[in-house]
Amino acid sequence: MAYFIAIATSDGEQVDRKFGETDSFHIYSVEEKEIVLSAIRKAEGSDAPSQNASKEADASSCGKTEDPGCGSGCGGNSQACGGNGQGCGGGGTVLGKVTLIEDCRCVVAKKVGFQAQKQFEKKAISVFDVECSVKEALEKITSYYYKIDHRQSLRTKDVE
Amino acid sequence: MAKLLDKQRYKCALGAMQTVQAIDRALPILHSGPGCAQKLSESTGSSGYFSPNIFPCTSINEKDVVFGGVKKLNSTIENALKVIDADLYVVLTGCIPEIVGDDSGEVVSRFEDAEKPVVYAPTAGFKGNNYKGHEQVVDAIVDQYLKKTDKKQKGLINIWADVPYQDLFWLGNLRQLEKLIAELGLIPNTIFGYKRGIENINKIPEAEFNLLVSPWVGLSNVKKMEKKFGTPYLHYPNLPIGATETSKLLREVGKFAGVPEEKVEGVIKEHEDYYYYLISRYADLFLENRVINKQFTVVADAQYSLAVTKFLVNDLGLIPAKQFVVDDTPKNHRDRITEEFKKLNFGIEAEVSFETDGYKIHEEIKNHDYHGYPLVLGGYYEKEITENLKGNFLNISWPVQDKVVFDNFYAGYEGGIRLIEDIYTVAVSRFN
Repeated sequence: MAYFIAIATSDGEQVDRKFGETDSFHIYSVEEKEIVLSAIRKAEGSDAPSQNASKEADASSCGKTEDPGCGSGCGGNSQACGGNGQGCGGGGTVLGKVTLIEDCRCVVAKKVGFQAQKQFEKKAISVFDVECSVKEALEKITSYYYKIDHRQSLRTKDVE
Repeated sequence: MAKLLDKQRYKCALGAMQTVQAIDRALPILHSGPGCAQKLSESTGSSGYFSPNIFPCTSINEKDVVFGGVKKLNSTIENALKVIDADLYVVLTGCIPEIVGDDSGEVVSRFEDAEKPVVYAPTAGFKGNNYKGHEQVVDAIVDQYLKKTDKKQKGLINIWADVPYQDLFWLGNLRQLEKLIAELGLIPNTIFGYKRGIENINKIPEAEFNLLVSPWVGLSNVKKMEKKFGTPYLHYPNLPIGATETSKLLREVGKFAGVPEEKVEGVIKEHEDYYYYLISRYADLFLENRVINKQFTVVADAQYSLAVTKFLVNDLGLIPAKQFVVDDTPKNHRDRITEEFKKLNFGIEAEVSFETDGYKIHEEIKNHDYHGYPLVLGGYYEKEITENLKGNFLNISWPVQDKVVFDNFYAGYEGGIRLIEDIYTVAVSRFN
């Protein structure tokens, strides 16, 4: 059965965006072993205003805002997601983005804050917070799902 | 159709974290899912300096299945070394990382130069149960930590017995064996329990020989040590309970170690005299008691099944009904162990079944005619069935639910007396 994978990437090459800081997701559609980039979904519009700020000015503006909606949108600096207790507290942004990709089977981002993880968990969407190339992520994830869907062993080498 | 295994008596190989825990100041580092240690831990004396609730664990999840968990393992080991003060770190892998192909051995080898030793034992559940896992841990220490030495200490004997924590009496049993070996003028060396730990591990290669007191667990370990350190081994195929077996063990050890016969016999005589003094004082209880009947069944791992059967036949004169070995003994050891069940006094032979399915065992117990109240020594699972048959039940093997054991023991002369006490306590409390 076909499914979608949402990846937070700026250029379609590297998984280089944190869930909170990204303003778009590359949506790949997977049918058996065929992977196609089917859309790039923008987060704006469905988001709180702070989202736009973070989109335009990245880290700097976000760190300063008092809007709790900024939440996991606080990208750019290394502690962004979940680094400071309240960091991921903003509901609006997270929920908006979660809703944006809720038809996907999983989401891939450089980092994903705790609240967002929980929201995805609630919708049974897997979260992969990894830093690697988009290609590698797609290969590994689709091979994993392929095996699961076809009831194949996950074994990658001969295990005694 | 899928098969069900009812009332299983062992855990997965990762249960060997208890073997590590039994080594003073050794810490397991688990490369497994977050629930493994929780499920494998029990409240049978497993709290203390380290306990399963604080064992460092990579808590791997779906992401690590897809992308591999070696990075997490690396950081978990690195940080465990920083924040937990232990003498030995043993990395244990669960099923998932081994299925998806994490090269944990390679990660652990990065810590070769760490200040404290870090070793790695593959303990995926599909590789066997916690008896095998126990062997893996000892193997890991021998292979990866210990070095061959030319320094040999005269009279130093490493003693190996069955699996700590799985055997509730492990601590007391080991101490009893140590005590008996010391009485022969030899120097016992064990690595488990209070005040043993890394210093005793370091002494392993210096020993004159290894003494393995177990039907099969640990045999591969002593063979490995023979190969690596050139240490010969004496394999005594059962835990000695009571006078017959303990005296036999002492004679064999004495002969193997070259202890003068008079000395060995002197030690034996002193123990036996006291042992039979106690037995004779209670002879009327044994003879006139109408509650303990002649026939008994033991449902336990190979160690206890064999040890208790020998004791009850040789020392107490009971007759074995069918005996059950429930530890999933590897097939290559079964014939040898079956033979051991035939080496009983008075030409008696015991029938033994290697059976892991509790349902089948209970059916056989139900259908056997014990000529009176059955005496069943087994795990807690056997309590209900024995009560239904109006029999006498004593919980001696895993799972143990109805007793607390700190350092009680059944091994040796004294251990035999303890076991008689326990059995007859069940008997005399029956009509009270």
